[in-house]
Amino acid sequence: MSTSTERVAVVSSALSQLKPAWDTVQHIDLISETVNQALLASGFDIHDVDVVIDCGSDVLDGRSISNCGFLGQMGAHHKEESRVEEDGLFGAMYAVNKILGGGAKVALVIAYSKPSESIVENYYRTIADPFYQRPVGLNKAVAAGLLANQYLTGTDATEEELAEIAARAWTRAAANSKVSDARAYTAREILDSPVVASPLNQLSLSRPVDGAVAIVLTSETIARKLGSTPVWVTGMGSAMESQFLSEREPGRLEACEVAAGMAKRFAGGKEATSYGFAEVSATSAADEAMVVEALGLAARGKAASAYDGDVDINPSGGAIPADPIMATGLVRMHEAANRLSGRVEGSSATSALVHASGGIGMQTHSVFSLEV
Amino acid sequence: MTRITTGIDQAPALETSLEMPYTLTTGKAVSVFIEQLGHGVIVGSHCDNCDRTVVPAQDYCARCGGDQGATVAVEPTGVVTAITRTADGAVGLIRLDGVDADLLHVIDESAGEVAVGDRVEATFAPEPVGTILTLAGFAPSTSAVSTTAPKEIDEVADEDLAKQIIYSLSLPYRHAYGPNYGRLFDELGSRGGILGSRCPHCQNVLVPPRAYCEICYVKTEQFVEVKDTGRLQAFSVIHMEFIGQTRKPPYVYAEIVLDGASTRLIHNVAGIDMARATEVLDIGTPVRAVWKAESERNGTLDDIDYFEPIPE
Repeated sequence: MSTSTERVAVVSSALSQLKPAWDTVQHIDLISETVNQALLASGFDIHDVDVVIDCGSDVLDGRSISNCGFLGQMGAHHKEESRVEEDGLFGAMYAVNKILGGGAKVALVIAYSKPSESIVENYYRTIADPFYQRPVGLNKAVAAGLLANQYLTGTDATEEELAEIAARAWTRAAANSKVSDARAYTAREILDSPVVASPLNQLSLSRPVDGAVAIVLTSETIARKLGSTPVWVTGMGSAMESQFLSEREPGRLEACEVAAGMAKRFAGGKEATSYGFAEVSATSAADEAMVVEALGLAARGKAASAYDGDVDINPSGGAIPADPIMATGLVRMHEAANRLSGRVEGSSATSALVHASGGIGMQTHSVFSLEV
Repeated sequence: MTRITTGIDQAPALETSLEMPYTLTTGKAVSVFIEQLGHGVIVGSHCDNCDRTVVPAQDYCARCGGDQGATVAVEPTGVVTAITRTADGAVGLIRLDGVDADLLHVIDESAGEVAVGDRVEATFAPEPVGTILTLAGFAPSTSAVSTTAPKEIDEVADEDLAKQIIYSLSLPYRHAYGPNYGRLFDELGSRGGILGSRCPHCQNVLVPPRAYCEICYVKTEQFVEVKDTGRLQAFSVIHMEFIGQTRKPPYVYAEIVLDGASTRLIHNVAGIDMARATEVLDIGTPVRAVWKAESERNGTLDDIDYFEPIPE
């Protein structure tokens, strides 16, 4: 960060296969294997890790304070361990602050979920307040449908443009070996898929998948001693919307704009359009369009045009084809760090914007600026 | 409530559910809102600071965080500002006449499709249901835009307000066993064998088996069978009754180190005079498993009915 002499870097990361159902393993099996891979890639032993921060959902896990049951397999035995009941990118934010504050030099951030083990909409229903919003049927699909309807009503954007965004996401995910059961779709196929919450279809709403991701962050001094290319955290920000959809500005994600603005200030005012690529989260194609606009990659209602611009948006395919709830944003960070550190063939980008979101109707937002 | 399922194309899994009963405390605004719906009146709140009326009524203004001012009755008519349709019906945002924020509610399309910009009006359940659903939803309307300003309502008598709502959640799960617990339960169910896994680093045998030794954080990679005899590491005589209890008090809850294991297994000790449990049992007391009849076993640790002291 610009105000500190010491910086923080992502030094290694690992991602499990993202599958509609990992029905042959438990959460702890998925987590321990992924953590082990991240440690192997970093060169660290678990005993070098000062703090473990994990992100998941008790409701999705089917047990209360589930980190208590998982922490041994997370490598957190007798360590400082903290749970962030939010997307893993918020956990990464915690880790960066922890290191900048001098409380840790090596941090392990884990995010995971197995939505296949429960009825996913129950998770979203439990987020909605039980008096005014839950009884009338608010869940992920309804919130995303209303947001999409507001976006299309309030701008010149079209359903066809949203279908193009989804088609592009699926096509890219089909080329991403980490995303299982993904194939390329045309915009026509997206529009022809069953309507789930109008104007959104099955293929334009994010697909929940099981998966785990682990990221190792260190202080600058340590990062420079390692063999790998450090990916520097040059900015970060976060903000939240009101829990009430009715209190939010229709057709845009103001909290995402605030989070992006915060990250930009820390990153020395670096313009969104000057990044090599962006890895963003979304629960629908309309949400992705609004995120692209909130980050400053396109004018309001003009997200579709940004996909032809200089900033590559979601080279991994993004969250529409693979949404491991609670881990989706940290997966974006893994994808970005992989590309920036030269672990992906043909990628020469030197900077990336990373975005996470959580809650109903994308209530929470976190934005990171990464550079090499 | 809990059972094991398997199928040709599905890995064995544990089907279970969390039943979560709640008594939700409404607070003033929610209780007044729900009470007034019973009279066919929709109430909102007016924030003097923001000069803004929102509906449903709120205790605090979402914009400025200040106390809401007057509780006001608003018109039951308005315009749809957003709508989405799902298999369960339509939900929309409705801007009621004279209000400054939308209301999220059900859109009733039984009389025809509703679009953004359409006029709608409230429909009520035949009898109050004690929740926001006393207001059943909003149906198409030919009403003109009302110019009646929201009007402050009389204070509702405290005894008319429901302070709490009885509520419950039922959350079903289908948990994968994974390779370690799967093998453990297979061995338990098929032949009453208890498995652990050995850490190649510290040589500890971990029961139940797991992929990584928590202390060394290295892969275990080897299953080891342990005995169904062991020693008490700790125990407590439970007299208290609580929800979710599977045995009737008094009973003994114990940590048992099985012979060949390095970790403690949590189970019950019985087969003794419970009134004399603390005299009969001690730390280090040798115990052995008492298995259920084969016909009653289902491949879980419950197949062991309890542990009993081994006579010296």
